[in-house]
Amino acid sequence: MTPASSNPNHWSRIRESGSAAGVRTMVWIRRHLGRLPFQFMLTLVIGYFYVAHGLHRRASHTYLVRLWRHLHGAPPKRLTWLSLRHFRSFGQSLMDKIDAWSGIPPRVEFAEGARQRFLDAVSSGRGGVMFVSHVGNMEICTAMSDMREDFRATLLMHTRNAQQFDAVLARSTHRENPPEIIEVSEITPSTAMQLGQRIAEGGFVVIAADRVPISDSGRARTLSFLGHPARFPEGPFWLASLLRCPVYTIGCFRHRDGYRVEFDTFDDTQRLGRRQRDAWIGDAMQRYVAWLTRQCANTPLQWFNFFPFWLDCADAQPEATDHNATTTATTTATTTATTTATATQADDAPRD
Amino acid sequence: MTTTALEHELKEMIIETLELEDVTPADIDPDEPLFVEGLGLDSIDALELGLALQKRYGITLESDAESSRQHFANLRSLAALVEARRVS
Repeated sequence: MTPASSNPNHWSRIRESGSAAGVRTMVWIRRHLGRLPFQFMLTLVIGYFYVAHGLHRRASHTYLVRLWRHLHGAPPKRLTWLSLRHFRSFGQSLMDKIDAWSGIPPRVEFAEGARQRFLDAVSSGRGGVMFVSHVGNMEICTAMSDMREDFRATLLMHTRNAQQFDAVLARSTHRENPPEIIEVSEITPSTAMQLGQRIAEGGFVVIAADRVPISDSGRARTLSFLGHPARFPEGPFWLASLLRCPVYTIGCFRHRDGYRVEFDTFDDTQRLGRRQRDAWIGDAMQRYVAWLTRQCANTPLQWFNFFPFWLDCADAQPEATDHNATTTATTTATTTATTTATATQADDAPRD
Repeated sequence: MTTTALEHELKEMIIETLELEDVTPADIDPDEPLFVEGLGLDSIDALELGLALQKRYGITLESDAESSRQHFANLRSLAALVEARRVS
């Protein structure tokens, strides 16, 4: 098994470089020149990315082939074209993310019954944990805090990459009532206490459970995802079990010109005993992966984990990778789907 | 040093929260480390204890790994924290 800390292609190490200026430029173009010039620029950036960044391209290819085999029993016929569309869909999500943070309300429709489930969850006053993933655009979920005053979301984010993209966005955009962001490198008792407080106040803690933080490499389990072994973090599930509250899944997927929100009840850990926890976590992780698989099947091109996701792909092995700049140039990837498309070359490899 | 009422309360809370069946309040030395050595609690136990403190006393801490470690070092430091920060 590859410990994440020694793997240069761990998602948290695939770092961005010089992206702050890039993000600001894109935000400026979006705001002052409008959507079309922005889309044009974005297409150029994405095209450049596809050609220049082999790691992302290979990650996309691996994912698409595995998903297609899983869904249709055969790899996609036009892989390059599909992968370009995958990149384009990612670019689109960046634009939507910037819009969401700019306070431009997204056009949102709920999946059947999801609105009522969401309203019930908010008005129950019990708060809860919401599992999200890097399928779709969870920024849209948090933008819902603009729509409903009594919906208070706290995003738990991994520090390593959270700062750049979101700090830049927060400075570059104007949003009156952004969700609270708690950045952590590890979950400490103080983090847990803060989150416990939020839930006691009826708030919601939003956690992505499809990326293993670097500091948590020991607390991860290998599960079969699309037929291949991948590591998933235990941390979000531990938290959900310790917080003793309702647990939900929420996803926001681009659909026609707007977004479709899916919101489902996942579990309730209120009465979960200490001794049942380990079994619960194993079961909950399986169910999360099943949910993730369904999201991929529904919206195949909205998978935004552009890094070697599986243990059995070549890039996942540190010894198989090249320690030079070509593998380390690139984007940010955080716990809440914040990845930036600013195409800049890394000038050196990560050293830590 | 003698054990204060609050320290006793915390001992009982630890035993109850973490379901330490074979441990009595007298077994917990207020100055012994709670984690790894001493009681041998792990990081998940620490989270659980933090949440129990939050629930019972309304305490929150600034998110800082170092200060967490200090406050959770032993029973005495935990009691000092509760004394200083308790809301109820």
